[in-house]
Amino acid sequence: MIANTIKQKYMAPTLRQKIKLSHFFYLLLTCGFLSLFLFPYLYLMLSSFKPPREVISSTPAFLPSQFTLDNYLAMFNQLSIGKYFGNSLVTAAFATLLSVLLGALAAYGLTRFSSKLGNLFLIFTLGVRLIPLISVAIPLYRIIGEVGLMDTKLALTLIYTSINIPFVIWMMLGFFDSLPKELDESARVDGCGMLGAFIRIILPISLPGLATTAIFSFMLSWNDFLFGLLFTSTSAKTVPVGISEFLTAYNMDLGPMTAAATLFSLPVMLFSFFMQNYIVRGMTMGAVKE
Amino acid sequence: MTKKDRRLSIVFFLPAAVFMILFFVYPMFLLFKNSFLEDDQPYGFVGFEHYSNALTSQTFYRSLLNTFEFVIGAVTVELLLGMVLALLLSTGFKGSNYIRTLLLSPLMISPLVAGLIWKFMLNDQFGILNSFLYKLGLISSPQSILWLSDSKYALLSCMIADIWLTTPFMMLVLLAGIQGIPESLYEAARIDGTNKVQSFWHITLPSLKPVILVAVAIRMIDAARSFDIIWVMTQGGPNNASSLVSTDIYKAIARYNQEGYSSAMAIIFMIILLGLCSFFMKHFWSSAKKAA
Repeated sequence: MIANTIKQKYMAPTLRQKIKLSHFFYLLLTCGFLSLFLFPYLYLMLSSFKPPREVISSTPAFLPSQFTLDNYLAMFNQLSIGKYFGNSLVTAAFATLLSVLLGALAAYGLTRFSSKLGNLFLIFTLGVRLIPLISVAIPLYRIIGEVGLMDTKLALTLIYTSINIPFVIWMMLGFFDSLPKELDESARVDGCGMLGAFIRIILPISLPGLATTAIFSFMLSWNDFLFGLLFTSTSAKTVPVGISEFLTAYNMDLGPMTAAATLFSLPVMLFSFFMQNYIVRGMTMGAVKE
Repeated sequence: MTKKDRRLSIVFFLPAAVFMILFFVYPMFLLFKNSFLEDDQPYGFVGFEHYSNALTSQTFYRSLLNTFEFVIGAVTVELLLGMVLALLLSTGFKGSNYIRTLLLSPLMISPLVAGLIWKFMLNDQFGILNSFLYKLGLISSPQSILWLSDSKYALLSCMIADIWLTTPFMMLVLLAGIQGIPESLYEAARIDGTNKVQSFWHITLPSLKPVILVAVAIRMIDAARSFDIIWVMTQGGPNNASSLVSTDIYKAIARYNQEGYSSAMAIIFMIILLGLCSFFMKHFWSSAKKAA
């Protein structure tokens, strides 16, 4: 009798205990992966607060021996980082505004009227995703030069807008498709034109979708490196291009580089941390039907 | 649809279409045209010279091969690692939500910063990875693996950075797919006495096939187009050991001003990409449809 209870209590785990035990194992395993994934970014961030000579120590440590802002000061001295941030912000913001506006308009038109021209346009926007951006950049290199827009924020904004538009169209198509058609019909009965129905009824309802799309458009431009590298030199230079200059073949300023990279990506990290629901919805939309 | 409606529909997508024409259609037309012209003024017609130059160039072959290797290697690891993580998180253990949130935080980091971080960690003189391996006794000196300047490891190093950056995306998509599989399927299987491994092979994997295909296709296209990570980590070096087609094209246009030659490389690259994509979609997509 006693032996039995002991057996029950200690030897054979019940099903519930088994599940708990396996869950504990999963937790440990996932935490292992998590630390591998978080380590590189944490290391960059912590290194930016190290004294400069520790960043380039041949026996690198994970934690700084003391927190200093020396790398940040050096970075501010070497780089007009404020100006680059301004350039990145202005081009990304305007490109987002323009592409979301035009893309949403197009997506709405495509869901509400079907025409051969519209379908052709839709297939074309999908095809754009397959084009390596560098191949668009080659002819644009000469075009931008010939129209005198080299090294201007305007050129970057226009390029980013056109890269974002196909993306916005595909994201907004799903949102508009899910809205009942009766909604805009009733708006038209109430005396709104098509455009009026779109602006007064459809756009306000699709705000969550527009927000998700806007986040992605913004990130697409904010994170761009290739076009900034090709089309800017001094006055319109963006942050990624500025940071990359710390690491050339002749010059490896790792300390200021870690500071600049942290400053550039930390807002993004925090932002995506807090806006994760929107981001998750946007990322899974293409691949998983809801 | 009335005539007025049709006219209106054009008004809706005309502004977007104008942008697309100016920044995609027209440049694509120029790209095609320039691939048959001289690199410099007076831009005379040279026929297929650039194409034959590219196709007989060792460097271009090397880059094509590297691109292929990069795409297959990175996407395979991303898929496997993403699947393991998605399966682990889908068990719903306590705290899995928090871990998911943390795992997704590198999601929006720019490829440039990812490249910088790994360039920093894999540095020959003060990289922390080698210092770790040395402390663990796996390598004989902190300088015995030159991750970025040894042609054996350069491409691998770039792959590691790409894997680090995009595995969270893969995990996210797969997790959403797994959570969309109806629970009743698993319950029915449990009654039939299947174990976890069996239900993975016979329920999870087949139901997930369309999701996997789309995710892999998206990632393959993006990996084939990647430029930032490689450019910032190795610039394609040493000796083209890690050069991709994109870095080759960039060098041709930005350093040597070879507009015609780089256009021809871009056209060849796009034809290969399109061909592979349509093969992939036709082959796997139709079999996925049949299975569904």
